[in-house]
Amino acid sequence: MNRNNTSDYLGHLVFVLAILLGVPAALGFDGFELNTFARYLSLAIVAAALALSWGTAGILNLGQAATFGIGAYVMAMHLKLVASAGNPDGLPDFMGWNNVTSLPWFWQPFQSLGATLALGLALPALMAWAMGIFMFRARITGVFVAIITLAFLVALQLWFIEEQRFTGGQNGLTGLAPLDLFGWQVDTYSLGFYYLVAGCLIAALALGTLILRSKVGLVLRAIREDSQRVRYFGYDVAGYETFVFSTSAAIAGWAGMLYALVLEFASPTYIGVAFSLAIVIWVAVGGRESLVGAAVGAILVNLAEGRLSDLFVESWLLILGVGFILFVLFLPRGLYGLLRQGFDRLARLRMRAAGRDVKPQESAR
Amino acid sequence: METIINQIFAGASLASILLMVALGLAIIYGAMGVINLAHGEFVMLGAYVTWALQSFLGMGLLAALPIVFVTIAAIGWGVERSIVQRLYRRPLDTILATWGIGIVLQQLVRMGIGPESRFIAGPGILSGNTSFGNVVLSNYRIFVLVFAIGVFVATWALLAKTEFGRKLRAVIQNREISECYGIRAEKVYALTFAYGAGLAGLAGALISPLVNTTPSMGTYLVVDAFLVVVVGGVGSIFGTAVASGIVGETTAFFSMLLNDTVGRIGVLVAIIFFIRFRPQGLLPQIVRR
Repeated sequence: MNRNNTSDYLGHLVFVLAILLGVPAALGFDGFELNTFARYLSLAIVAAALALSWGTAGILNLGQAATFGIGAYVMAMHLKLVASAGNPDGLPDFMGWNNVTSLPWFWQPFQSLGATLALGLALPALMAWAMGIFMFRARITGVFVAIITLAFLVALQLWFIEEQRFTGGQNGLTGLAPLDLFGWQVDTYSLGFYYLVAGCLIAALALGTLILRSKVGLVLRAIREDSQRVRYFGYDVAGYETFVFSTSAAIAGWAGMLYALVLEFASPTYIGVAFSLAIVIWVAVGGRESLVGAAVGAILVNLAEGRLSDLFVESWLLILGVGFILFVLFLPRGLYGLLRQGFDRLARLRMRAAGRDVKPQESAR
Repeated sequence: METIINQIFAGASLASILLMVALGLAIIYGAMGVINLAHGEFVMLGAYVTWALQSFLGMGLLAALPIVFVTIAAIGWGVERSIVQRLYRRPLDTILATWGIGIVLQQLVRMGIGPESRFIAGPGILSGNTSFGNVVLSNYRIFVLVFAIGVFVATWALLAKTEFGRKLRAVIQNREISECYGIRAEKVYALTFAYGAGLAGLAGALISPLVNTTPSMGTYLVVDAFLVVVVGGVGSIFGTAVASGIVGETTAFFSMLLNDTVGRIGVLVAIIFFIRFRPQGLLPQIVRR
């Protein structure tokens, strides 16, 4: 356990240093490049959120994009209201086109930045909490969780497109104002904004790791291995599952808020099946057992997409698909599992060199 | 009155399409526990093979059906042998791998044939409508409905009456013991997967005159079909048939009362509740564990 921790902490340190110093230096502090990388970092947050529920508790949430999208819409609604301040009644333009005459009540709270930031975390968390109670109390597991979350995602996206009067429909929310963060006018092409996103990523990872290292994390891993046995020990399995599901949703909402800031619009594609499964792909590539691994997976896949899709415009998706199949077949634990295996082998060699007899340790699955 | 009959028929038509798509999925899921998210792409390939036969060889849709079935079954067989067979011990991972397969197939078609929507003509002898009093029904949709029922009966007979079906049922119940009796389980699995894929191809060919044929047409079909399979009950093709009927008619009914999108949302929410309270489905298979 201690040995594992040492290499993990080392890995975390390398990751944090790379994000804070390595990346900006490698990009030459170029505003455009920093903005692109900030987008990858916000996607890394949602990947870590999925790893928290999938890798730890074995809850495969195919609807993670739902919570992400709600976060994005919350932020976009605030920025849209700021941008529409000059209009009569502060009414956003698309509402006028759809014959909405006054601002609906559920748009009102987003006038305030504080309420927006709080709701961006609370709305996804509340939604996931309700779903968690709904599913986990009935001991729904595995494939059925995947199906229910997927069906929910499709329904939510249809609803967002249908309610064009209030959500902008297929176009989403565009023409947003820049964020005024307590007096700081956020320029999304600046180093300061990059550090804001990077700080959020590191904070989210720290929060997640804290949960994983605590007793809660231990119980969650036990639930992943055998929920029935954990129940016999008297733990409230549904309660733990709901907790991690909602926490993951809140973090995903957080990521969504940042994503809407980076791209300066919110669109129903954020709540789409393709995007949701893309998140699953990133996590599987990086390694579902490790939050940092999942984050790295998201960054690498998106980086590859950014670089390769220029070179291979047509075949990029083909490369992604084939690569993903190979990962699932041969590296089911992702890049993290590969590293872990390497570290374990190294440690074993060192111990053998020191003349100590050690049994090969079965690493956690 | 006419509106109601028309809506019932619209629901039945939708149900027949759902049944065609879901039947192959149900067999694959029931037999091997594999959630085949590439199933929608098999449907898409079926539609494109029909298109190719029609525009390059001038073959009619009906004549193309057997060729489509065999072609897509062969593709399914290849996919099972190369990828899916390695994942039988990791059922959740099959979701991921088959999604990857879906991306690859979609992209291959997009690159090879192009992203634009293709037109496929329905069979000439089935054009036109049949009217009963004031109720007007499209001949082609009636044909699809009858055909789907025919395929369902054939599939049932295959499972219940043939030696292959007996072997498959034995392997589903207990793979190890059936292997002791000399049944080649992997061969049975590969053929089952191929058959399921072939059915998807047939579905694609049949729906191609009714929908837009594009490389991404499979994505939403597979979600719908999968919901139907789960509602019907794992491993029960009768359940799948009943569930397609219910989902098709409910969608048509909601769409009449509200509108298409709200109807779809309503059905999805109803399905979520159904799975929550009855995850074993409508007609669960009784199995000894």
